Amino acid sequence: MEHIRIANDWYRLDNAAKIFPAISTKKETNTFRVRVDLVDTIDMALLQQAVNLVLERYPMFKVRLKSGLFWNYLDYNERPFIVLPLPQRVCGSLSPKEHNGYLFQIYYWKKSIVLEMFHSLADGSGAFALIKSLVYEYLLLKGLKITPDNLILTRDSLPTVEEYEDSNLTYYDPHNHKHVPEKRAFLIKGTPISDGNIGLISATIATKDMMDLARANEASVTEYLTALMLYTIYITHIQYREHLKENKKPVKIFVPVNLRKQFPSKSLRNFTNFVKSGMVMNRSDISFDEILAETKKQFAYGLQKSELIRKMSENVSFEKNIFLRATPYFLKKFVLKIGYNMMGLLLNTLSFSNLGKIDFPESMQPHIDKISVGVYSGRFNTVNFGVVTYKDQFSMTFTRSIVETTIEREFFRHFTSKGIHMTLESNYVEEYR
Amino acid sequence: MKYCDKCHVDVQTNQKYCPLCHQVLQGDNDETWIELYPKFIPLRREVLPLTKKIILFITIVAIAVLLAINLTAWEGKLWSLIPIGSILYVFMIVRYGVLSRQNIAFKLALLTTALILILNMIDQQFTEPEARGWAINYVTPLALLSCNVAISAIIWIRRINFRDYIFYLLTIMVFSLVPIILCLFNIVTVVWPSLAAFGLAIFILLIIVFFFPKSIKDEIKKRFHF
Repeated sequence: MEHIRIANDWYRLDNAAKIFPAISTKKETNTFRVRVDLVDTIDMALLQQAVNLVLERYPMFKVRLKSGLFWNYLDYNERPFIVLPLPQRVCGSLSPKEHNGYLFQIYYWKKSIVLEMFHSLADGSGAFALIKSLVYEYLLLKGLKITPDNLILTRDSLPTVEEYEDSNLTYYDPHNHKHVPEKRAFLIKGTPISDGNIGLISATIATKDMMDLARANEASVTEYLTALMLYTIYITHIQYREHLKENKKPVKIFVPVNLRKQFPSKSLRNFTNFVKSGMVMNRSDISFDEILAETKKQFAYGLQKSELIRKMSENVSFEKNIFLRATPYFLKKFVLKIGYNMMGLLLNTLSFSNLGKIDFPESMQPHIDKISVGVYSGRFNTVNFGVVTYKDQFSMTFTRSIVETTIEREFFRHFTSKGIHMTLESNYVEEYR
Repeated sequence: MKYCDKCHVDVQTNQKYCPLCHQVLQGDNDETWIELYPKFIPLRREVLPLTKKIILFITIVAIAVLLAINLTAWEGKLWSLIPIGSILYVFMIVRYGVLSRQNIAFKLALLTTALILILNMIDQQFTEPEARGWAINYVTPLALLSCNVAISAIIWIRRINFRDYIFYLLTIMVFSLVPIILCLFNIVTVVWPSLAAFGLAIFILLIIVFFFPKSIKDEIKKRFHF
């Protein structure tokens, strides 16, 4: 423990992480969850041991948030990390009082291990690296014979500077940071769920069915699902109602892009950007194919390297603005809050994160049953969507902060109408009122 | 496993309804099935927020009553500032000293600073001119001195945590320089308390600089990076 504590035991927040502490509240928690279901029931004592071991390997996660004069920073946290039973609240706020200051929490429930993480700490890739190491350590402690197969960061390796660097600052281009103004997006309205709870509905279909469906339309899975999402919102909320003022706003889907695939970064912290696919739904005869064609065009444009670098540099140049930097944090907080409300939150209808395919070593696969992900939902982005692939299971999870499930229903019925077999699970938040 | 014949999906639950369309599901309950999500337990009313609310309520009512009495029976002085200051201070003690989970060095630094400000205000506004200056001459330097001693003692006893406390120690040290500067401008007339506070601050600073040079450098870097 003490011997691997590296000399640098505090970290600057990365570019994306800087904004989250200022804008997060009890309702806009900016957390996400990764859930791994094992085959056997979780042994809580072993899980606790495994977490303690894993945190030695991830010094950049054994931190808490502290405030400096100009920026917050992550400082070494000497307090113990304690795993907890899964609460009903999905993606609740990680209050420092309840979690010894840690910005993530590991929960256990029957057969599942659930990781909830505050977005300041890392993005989905970082979270998956952590939970993969955790499951690996846990299974080792259970006495199983498993190998890491270069897919898992084990305690045999040491943390490197590449893992905690802010890759945004490495790959941005100071000359390409034009700001492109955007219109406010259509927002899905509904009845808020009481006590700020979040409903979760998760569906699993066969990966092959999903691939076939996307391939038949000559689109990638992300493109297909984005187009389907736009179409679902269109038919459930806008079609034949185009004349309403709210419905004249464009429907925009925010799709995070993992930049590690575009740039050679090994960072475990935030290194994502986004592609937005949007459309003004001003006719009553828009077809799915039309939306899909438009989405493909927008993805091709948004995924160009120059466009990704532009968006990244825009954020970095905002952070590097000398006036912003020289403002003390307690004032800066308000600037960030106002800026985010104007330029971030209200510009998206819904966010759709595709975490891609999760690989586990072959020796571990028999012990892991299922993986799913979820994103918090708040006051404005009332419905969010997360997707992950593990082996032959394609898991799609909706989280919502409203009672209505129209979007989920129409979205999933699209698959079942094509004869695809689908298994659902829900946290049944509506049954416990 | 249950089935919804409207949505054509299998649902893994023992609940009665389909989560999508709220129709009754087909199929029987599986007694061996373990629900995938914990049951929802409604929020219980916590004691702490209620206590906070009561304290805040009493504070505000008391302040309003004092001000009202003071203004209706006006005698040329805003005497209500003394009890109002004291009430606010008690409120701060409860809110930041007792109920807060901040670290103790922060609490000490904050409460000492607030006490000094309130006492100086009383001194300047309400003391007879010939007796004026007790707060700035004696209270300010001696309060800073005791605060310095207290934080250093805590650091000394609970060594493991000194990284969290050092920032507040530094703040109080900087404050300790203020009385001695005021001495130079003859605002402070009794020199020895200011000198004692200044001396102790420099002494502790030297100890940190000589024995923990890295921690002080790190702390400054962390707190002031931009």
